[in-house]
Amino acid sequence: MYRLLSVLAIALPLAAQYQGNFRVTWIEPGSKETLPAADQFENSNGTLGVINASGPVDTNGHPFFTPLGTNGRACVNCHQPAYGMSVSAAGLRERWRETDGKDPVFAAFDGSNCPDLPQQKESSHSLLLHRGLFRIPLPWPPQNADGSPKPVEFSIEVVRDPAGCNTSREYGLKSAHPAVSVYRRPRPVANLKYVLAGAPNIVLKTGKLADRDPATGEPVSMNLMADAREPSLMTQAISAILGHEEARTEPSHQQLEKVVAFESQVYMAQVEHIFGGSLVAPGGPASLGPAALRDRRAGVLGDNNYDPVFGLFDSWKGKDYFRASVARGADIFMFRQFWLRDATHINSIGLGNPLKRTCATCHNAQMTGQDLSAGWVDVGTANYPTWTEPSTWADSSELPIFKITCSKDADPHPYLGRVIYTTDPGRALISGRCVDVGSIVMQQFRGLAARAPYFSNGSAKTLREVVDFYDRRFDMKLSDTEKDDLINFLGVL
Amino acid sequence: MRAAWLLCFVAAAALAQERNFIACPVVRDTKTVPCFLAEYQGELYYLGIQQDITDKFHPPQLKHQVLVEGRVAEGPRVCGGIPLQPLSISVLKEIDLSCDTILPAEPGMDAPPAARGAGPSSVRPAPRGTPSAALTGRQEFTVRYAFNDEYADFAAQFVVTEAAGYAKRIGAAAVKVAGYRATTLLSNGERLVEKTGLAEKRAQDVATLLRGSGVANVSVDWKPEAEPADGEQDASRRRVTILVMP
Repeated sequence: MYRLLSVLAIALPLAAQYQGNFRVTWIEPGSKETLPAADQFENSNGTLGVINASGPVDTNGHPFFTPLGTNGRACVNCHQPAYGMSVSAAGLRERWRETDGKDPVFAAFDGSNCPDLPQQKESSHSLLLHRGLFRIPLPWPPQNADGSPKPVEFSIEVVRDPAGCNTSREYGLKSAHPAVSVYRRPRPVANLKYVLAGAPNIVLKTGKLADRDPATGEPVSMNLMADAREPSLMTQAISAILGHEEARTEPSHQQLEKVVAFESQVYMAQVEHIFGGSLVAPGGPASLGPAALRDRRAGVLGDNNYDPVFGLFDSWKGKDYFRASVARGADIFMFRQFWLRDATHINSIGLGNPLKRTCATCHNAQMTGQDLSAGWVDVGTANYPTWTEPSTWADSSELPIFKITCSKDADPHPYLGRVIYTTDPGRALISGRCVDVGSIVMQQFRGLAARAPYFSNGSAKTLREVVDFYDRRFDMKLSDTEKDDLINFLGVL
Repeated sequence: MRAAWLLCFVAAAALAQERNFIACPVVRDTKTVPCFLAEYQGELYYLGIQQDITDKFHPPQLKHQVLVEGRVAEGPRVCGGIPLQPLSISVLKEIDLSCDTILPAEPGMDAPPAARGAGPSSVRPAPRGTPSAALTGRQEFTVRYAFNDEYADFAAQFVVTEAAGYAKRIGAAAVKVAGYRATTLLSNGERLVEKTGLAEKRAQDVATLLRGSGVANVSVDWKPEAEPADGEQDASRRRVTILVMP
């Protein structure tokens, strides 16, 4: 009977993954409670563990949990422990139902498709409710830190604008304050020592100096945010409080230090799986669970077979059907070769195109699977024709589509040339470089079960859709069993 | 007169061994790492194998033509191609969708031994030495580039880092950066000239890297005119020199 259940765990496509109706703890801004040093939150895959390494956290008056702006939001609105310090689309839909859309997470500024839409309508928040996407208005042309315009190698036109914000008179590309609105998932505010690690002076992918932390003058990892636009947690907090919270003044240094201190000590990962049982029991894979994240050293390259990205899963290569599947998935991630093609900032930096390698080549940082180098890559999620969106008009998505035309003096996009259609120009909106169009900074792989949907554009509702994208994109020819193994592996991280 | 004739003959013979051409790269899979090849005048030439970013050979890219600057080397064919050594390859920037050939692996068509296979690395990295530690006095470092390219690749970044380390260690009184662009003489007689302004761009970029690495007293110069071509050493003239003076 147990074996039958285990077989079902594999055979079923887990289509209902992450869509269960679980009660989770939504922390309201301004709440007065104490978060324990170790907490657990149920999700449809099992249980997520969250550790506050510095001990219990009193949220009363804490700037991470307290609205500092004008719209009632606090950092915690979009970075909820129950959702892996991010927030899931399912959780947002539930929040809409519970509050009739009045929760400050739905603030007009960026919690709706555009501030000039009727805010009481659910349809005005469709990108957030369907995909978990917040609007990110970025100045056009890109600006230096002092507000001066950066040189830009391309022009940008709005081809389609279902959300209406890029053609809006007030908020659009041709408004008095020209901006490009892209829509992105909030990244987990946890395990950040890994995100911030690996900060060489020169960025391998560009041959240029890395950005500097303005507080210390030291180079930074450039792995924060989908486009690496913020160098440090401190600058990110300022930007988020002025932007997402619509504060009129910058937070105090003391508040910022408290936010950064909190963010720097949170660790989260899945601790239990409905079919796999405890993921952190003695004798299991040493990389699972938040305590492992807390205790391990950051900034270690894992693209090797002696100390792999997520450690060894050999102890699970036994009779337990689910655990054996996870172990096979770990092996596929590390060892399954395929032709990695046409990925800017991977194939284009001297590794050759194509490159016969494995997932771990790019997702090489131990414990998180990010890139140890500055991690922006055009893997094809945003740019036509490989983008995650439907390829025909009839099925078109709600994301905007931009046409990028590179100047003749600039280096073109390495695999798409001088005219590119994209739903998100990514890093190019910060660097102004044509080669960066569609490049997005890789995300960490931890706590995935708690925070669907996936990709920076929220296009993959389930981990199966993530795996399917890569299978198509790189012609991996994964069997159904291999896909299940990968999904099960990702689901326990 | 006879000596001059002999000299001309030797020079012509040397040039006859040069293979400077533009072509689509061809990828040949093997049971280990892929080989990269290119065809010129009906003959297939072996360029190299897939390696790590730290290797001195950086493979070409499908969807792009490659500029090959090499000399026919002694020895048997490799992966079905005539080996070239020394060899410089440059990926041309504009895309060419016709460059799309991947040949399947064939029995007996093996890649040379590779330090790293197609999977994760199995070799623990050795502690990186600091070659500049042994240096003294006035030293010149040379950063090399692919054709028409300003990207400081891994090898270039290593040179700049070494130069910066040395300059800081000795407290250099002056660090002179000089940028160059060059011309390539193809085997068919055509000349390719790198774009205007590239010498300055390369030099300024390297100076920025040095200053950002904490090097003081950096001055920058560049030669606006393209270096001439001889069909033999053209790749080596695409460069930035860093002269570190105590």
